[in-house]
Amino acid sequence: MSIFRNFIAGLRTLFRKEQVDQELDEEVRGYIEALVEEKIRTGMSREQAMRAARLETGSVDALKENVRDVWWEQVVGSFWQDVRYGLRMIRKSPGFVAVAILTLALGIGANSAIFSIVYGVLYRPLPFPDEGRIAMVHMHFSPQNNPRGNLSVADFVDWKNGNTVFEQVAAYSRSRFTLTGESVAEEVAGAAVTADFFSILGMKPILGRTFQPGDDSVTGPNVVVISASLWQRRFGGSRDAIGRVIEVDSNPATIIGVVSEGFGFPRAQIELWQNLRLKVTRRGPFFCQGIGRLRRGTTLERAQAETNLIGRNIERANSGVYSNLTMPVESLRNYLVGDLRPALLMMFAAVLAVLLIATVNIANLLLARATTREREMAVRLSLGAARRRLVQQLLTESVLLSLTGAAAGLLLAFVGVRMFRAFNPANLPLAFQVQLDWSVLLFTLVISVAAGVLFGVVPAIESARGDLQAPLKEGGRSGTAGTGHHRTRAVLVVAEIALSLVLLVAAGLLLRSFMLLQKVDVGTSAPPTNVLTMMVTPKTLRRAGIQFAYDNGIISFYQRVMENVSRLPGVRYVAISDSLPPDQGGEDDTFSIAGRPWSDQAFPSTTLPKISPDYFRALGVPLLRGRFFTQDDTAKSTPVTIIGESLARRYFPDTDPIGQKIGASLPSNTDPYMDVVGVVGDLKYWGLESESKPAYYRPYTQNFNTTIFLLVQSPKPAAGLAPSIQREIRAVDKDAVVRRVLTLEDLLGESVAQPRFRTLLVTSFGVLALMLAAVGIYGVIAYSVTQRTQEIGIRMALGAQRSDVIKMVVGNGALLAAMGLGIGLIGSFAAARAISRFLFATSPNDPLTLTAGCALLSAVALAATLIPAVRATRIDPQVALRHE
Amino acid sequence: MPDKSSAIVQGTLDMLILKTLALEPLHGYGIGIRIEQISKGVFQVNAGSLFPALRRLERAGLLNSEWRETENSRRAKYYILPAEGRRRLKAETREWETQSAAIARILNATPKEI
Repeated sequence: MSIFRNFIAGLRTLFRKEQVDQELDEEVRGYIEALVEEKIRTGMSREQAMRAARLETGSVDALKENVRDVWWEQVVGSFWQDVRYGLRMIRKSPGFVAVAILTLALGIGANSAIFSIVYGVLYRPLPFPDEGRIAMVHMHFSPQNNPRGNLSVADFVDWKNGNTVFEQVAAYSRSRFTLTGESVAEEVAGAAVTADFFSILGMKPILGRTFQPGDDSVTGPNVVVISASLWQRRFGGSRDAIGRVIEVDSNPATIIGVVSEGFGFPRAQIELWQNLRLKVTRRGPFFCQGIGRLRRGTTLERAQAETNLIGRNIERANSGVYSNLTMPVESLRNYLVGDLRPALLMMFAAVLAVLLIATVNIANLLLARATTREREMAVRLSLGAARRRLVQQLLTESVLLSLTGAAAGLLLAFVGVRMFRAFNPANLPLAFQVQLDWSVLLFTLVISVAAGVLFGVVPAIESARGDLQAPLKEGGRSGTAGTGHHRTRAVLVVAEIALSLVLLVAAGLLLRSFMLLQKVDVGTSAPPTNVLTMMVTPKTLRRAGIQFAYDNGIISFYQRVMENVSRLPGVRYVAISDSLPPDQGGEDDTFSIAGRPWSDQAFPSTTLPKISPDYFRALGVPLLRGRFFTQDDTAKSTPVTIIGESLARRYFPDTDPIGQKIGASLPSNTDPYMDVVGVVGDLKYWGLESESKPAYYRPYTQNFNTTIFLLVQSPKPAAGLAPSIQREIRAVDKDAVVRRVLTLEDLLGESVAQPRFRTLLVTSFGVLALMLAAVGIYGVIAYSVTQRTQEIGIRMALGAQRSDVIKMVVGNGALLAAMGLGIGLIGSFAAARAISRFLFATSPNDPLTLTAGCALLSAVALAATLIPAVRATRIDPQVALRHE
Repeated sequence: MPDKSSAIVQGTLDMLILKTLALEPLHGYGIGIRIEQISKGVFQVNAGSLFPALRRLERAGLLNSEWRETENSRRAKYYILPAEGRRRLKAETREWETQSAAIARILNATPKEI
């Protein structure tokens, strides 16, 4: 009851503030009047009585303030009062406020944008119910040695039969499907999946059904589930789509269901899922990615223990195929983005450092302003304002400032996130999860309030502690409290310089790594713009499907395409291959050498590109010994191979490799040995950062893969050739699918997209930090010059030279810079160690980067001090001595 | 502003205000004068503590107020003790008596009694 009454009365005070104030005023005045009359009755004059009464009651305003403090609404009321006052102060000093808000907008905006990326990619819940129970299962074995290797159908069936920890398990394989019949031919991203795939992910159909047990048996029907987007686009969202028979890769398939828009799996853009029919053959080919839903209460560790056991059994039963077999289990999230975590967290740390620097900078500006507001504070304190109240008001002002900056920053973040989603510059998976929503707003609110309090608290306390006497004296010099402020500001500038150096060094190291990475020689000498590549798949190859069988019709397709394309004007060389530098390795396998014992360690798995004769000429790879493949190397001629330089060096250091005999895959492989006919320069197939590995090449006529690139070298930039080449391909097979038409330069660019993105971000943060540090040190030195105008004037009147004054002022700045650099260097070493995993051919303690970082920062700091120093020399001693 | 007389025991000002108002409605100044008179000048209440206390009590619903004419025909805010205030006064008085009796016993204690 009384709480309720209290609340209502509080509201009344808030909304009818004036009336309530007036009543209080009248009551207090009445009281004093009565007191005065009483005193007059005891014989005082009216004047004496009034004076005595005032002495007795103290300040009327303070009294009223005390009475108001009794009320809860006073907290709210004084907050509003502070906000209004704060806004007035903001209006009164637009210059300071513009600088502060711009700084904050940059700092907070960058943080909000990076936070949306980090949160969206790493933490935002995926659209799969109970995502924590979804786990991926891989197969890792020698000789393939891929920690996230795929399973063969036989391995999947063994796993499924031995499984007890997963509620359900499934296998899937990503693919692309061509839809023909109905309307225009169209290629869509898709996946072949086993029966329980959809229920593991919790993806429900919006129409029809998803796969059911039996759909994945060898005799299962040919059925497909489509995405809502495909349903709308191709079938106009009609309910009749269910049961329709369409042509998928030229085979009839029945549509059984539509799943909702949103997130396709395993890729967002997947629009069609086909039932994967489990035809158990030999061990291989390896194309199944395992996925399962853990039973409630089971852990990944338990699942790992079980798959290890199953893996051992598979290995024991198939010792000729596998050695060291394990079946690694990982969470869905880790599978999708686990590898990105360190880079994203590094960017987050960098952007937080920028905000911290911005915060320090504004604290500095506020301290400078605090000096000019000393008199205002002193007046308020002597009129009875509580220091706590002043601190509260100053903090309200700074948080208000920070929130305004945050609002501007959110605009920047909004643009940044839009651009990120549109271009996805780093090719990050889950980019569609990056959104500016309430979680980002909440984060922004938290950091901006934190920043506001952080940069407001030191200046606020300093101001409220202010000396009451000095500032109030007529003509009193404002220097007394200023020295205290000045020391605080110097400490802040040192901190700012130290932090900036850490960021600059980190940016420098990444930049240097990135430049070295771009200079990496992939082994090609052809100008990258002059080489055009594309993935080409004929209808026959698609029809054969994933479980592709060797077929001469496919070989003749590529032969005819190469013939036709080679006749085009502007085409110098044309070739096909299943691998491309810098990071498109085809299959991996081991090999053996005739007459040498084989072991895992001696013959690690490597890449074995299948190529046509002009592959090396098209890329400009030097022939070191022997010959290239020719048209005469056919399926019927002697099996041959060309080896890369590092294979030759490692395995034939003293002998001529030409004429040696190499066996593909494990020694148990019964295919005849291949003759080494040539040695070529090394190419990189595992990214620019990797070492060149030994590679051996085979003619595509003697060994084949299902992923085929066509590559063309032209004497001039080759991008313009794409349409005519595609015409030639369609002339051979009108349903052939051509995609990823890219020059070698594009491929090189793509392979460094992630390092480029993080380098670009951290470098821009470094530059921002540098600018902020420059502003910070300029502010402090410029202020100290103003403070010392009189002193400098005296010095000059006494005969000090301009150079002496410059030396003195710059010396102050240099001292601050040196202290900041010293502390920053320690931080830099720690930061460099933390980011060492992102460095390429660059030591974390790279002396060049450290020196350059220090030099750059010192130069900027000194330049910033030079301006006030020169200004100091222009001081006219006459004026200075009168200066106040 | 130091009182020249004894300071009022912490927390008892509310009770004294309620008591004076139990006798008759008064305005702020009147309350101060009444406390001083009844205590024979031992307690003097200054405005700095009187007004916040009045506001606290009013807010807690232990006092009502209304604007009335004073004997000098001025307008003043008179405080009136409602039923709830009387109940609180009774409770506080009882509590006070218990406490002061206890304190008196302790202060009058002689070694023999231990």
